[in-house]
Amino acid sequence: MNLSHLPIKITILLLTCCLLLASCSSGGQSKKKVVLQGQSSDNVDFTGSWELDYSQSDNIQTKLDSMVRELRHQIDRGQGGNMVGGSAGPNSAPSIIGLARMSDLITRSPLLKIKQSEHEIKVKREENFALTCEFYAGQYRSVETPVGTEICGWNGHQLVFKILLPEGLSIQHVMTVASSGGKLNIATTVVSDQVSYPFTLNRVYNRFVPGASGFSCKMTLTKGRVCSTQSTPTPTPEPQ
Amino acid sequence: MIRLSNWLVFLCLCILGVTMRAGFTQAGAGASAGGVPLRTDRQASVETVLDVGVVIFDSGIPEDESTHSKLGIFPEIRKSEAKFMPVILRQVLIESGAWGVVRVLPEVLDSSELLITSRILHSDGLRLALKIKAHDATGRLWLDKVYVDEASQGDYPVTAGGDPYLDLYHQVANELLTLKQGMSSKELRNIRQVGLMRYAASLSPEVFAHYLARTEGGAYMLARLPAEDDPMMGRVNRIRNQEYLFIDTVDEQYATLYEEMAPTYNLWRQFGREQAIYRKSYQDRVTSKERRGRRGTFAAMEQTYEAYKWSKIHEQDMDELALGFNNEVAPTVMEVSGKVFRLNGTLDTQYTEWRDILRKIFVIETGLTPDA
Repeated sequence: MNLSHLPIKITILLLTCCLLLASCSSGGQSKKKVVLQGQSSDNVDFTGSWELDYSQSDNIQTKLDSMVRELRHQIDRGQGGNMVGGSAGPNSAPSIIGLARMSDLITRSPLLKIKQSEHEIKVKREENFALTCEFYAGQYRSVETPVGTEICGWNGHQLVFKILLPEGLSIQHVMTVASSGGKLNIATTVVSDQVSYPFTLNRVYNRFVPGASGFSCKMTLTKGRVCSTQSTPTPTPEPQ
Repeated sequence: MIRLSNWLVFLCLCILGVTMRAGFTQAGAGASAGGVPLRTDRQASVETVLDVGVVIFDSGIPEDESTHSKLGIFPEIRKSEAKFMPVILRQVLIESGAWGVVRVLPEVLDSSELLITSRILHSDGLRLALKIKAHDATGRLWLDKVYVDEASQGDYPVTAGGDPYLDLYHQVANELLTLKQGMSSKELRNIRQVGLMRYAASLSPEVFAHYLARTEGGAYMLARLPAEDDPMMGRVNRIRNQEYLFIDTVDEQYATLYEEMAPTYNLWRQFGREQAIYRKSYQDRVTSKERRGRRGTFAAMEQTYEAYKWSKIHEQDMDELALGFNNEVAPTVMEVSGKVFRLNGTLDTQYTEWRDILRKIFVIETGLTPDA
């Protein structure tokens, strides 16, 4: 079915159905229905600079192998009717590998800079667009555009971003900060209507304090980014 | 089925379009600034010219903050626009030569001979929509309309003293002039006298209220007039001039804000227009683009994701520009707001107090007791 000529609302509806079906058929895992909220259950604060910790993050090859195993189990259990690894159609090798490559592409940012206030969060990702969310009590945020729909909100202490894209593609980022505040996990799940199992990749980030640059910059409209030197306080000598 | 639903959507859009057009005035849509020439009238006699008060615009920012980004409203910019736009309207009214003193007022002054209020319905680099109301001192409604203007490529970059939506302001000024020209000298003189008596009654209702009467529709009319050499009216005029001097000080602050804000604001609108046009053409290109690979393959998914990514990056560029605008204009607004706030304080809280002082002066001068 070619969705490109359908109105966006119908496409989104179909995508949502696909997403639900995909999550229902994902290896028989019992999944609770997530209802996003406009407020976190705790006062979770993601603010700060974060750098990717490759050693603690998922290995994409391992995850891919695990996914293929899971798909084969599904077929063995009679839950998925297609061969895994054919050259075309659902669960084909290009679709499975494509999903893994997409997850890698989406989660590649080595550095994050997060600003959070009472009503807003902005996750600036190096080499990618920023994930932004506004929180207001009693409602999650949903923004529809001709090229995709974005839904975000809190699930307890976790911040969830869902992006529903055309062509049966959807992405979900679940952000969780460790109780110590020093580690951040982003679980990114990519779902395609051509693969009957979602691909999830965990990326772990460590908090770091960026060094003082010696100058401060601010954006202006007429002059672009304007920087000025900061007056760094000189240490006062100890009295003799 | 799909074809039928498409027809229904098309039909709804047509009906919506027709509905939205009703009651709207399109000021030279798509034409460059200057498409609507400003009509002038310099023949008016001093007795029949009306002073005009243009109240700072209602910014039209919804109270529900969660709707701002969906509606594309940048609240700080919108607040600045509410102070910026009345200055342009004032300038256009002055240029028409048809009016007496035209002032930008920080709040409604009911005794104004002609009072203009406005609410910003939409404002960006592509389109401006204002709901404008005007009524005179008798309470007669002159205008209550939505004016819409669209900027074109030729409107940018904005020349010094110009504005991409000058046609809209010209349209308002021209319509006001047409309405004024449809009135007799007697009617115009009556508006001036009612304005003065309403001001006098606001100073001392005990003395002046009975000079005014109300029609069934609530309009003000003169019941009678004080003698021409009435010393009380001399005092009223003197105190009214004091109040105008005070308002003129506020008005100067708005003019300063306009001058300082104009270069940055014009650039903001120009960038905004370019961004909006680019985004639209980008989305059109994306939807009509040939697919790179079979559905579900990496090439096809990457193409879908990249389309969304670039759309987000452009959207976030606008946020950056808004931040740049705020960084540049905010100090000016704060400085002006500081002054205006001080004056606003006078106009809102101290203004009442100050007018009480004026009333007391009036009472002392006239020898009346406040409760007389």
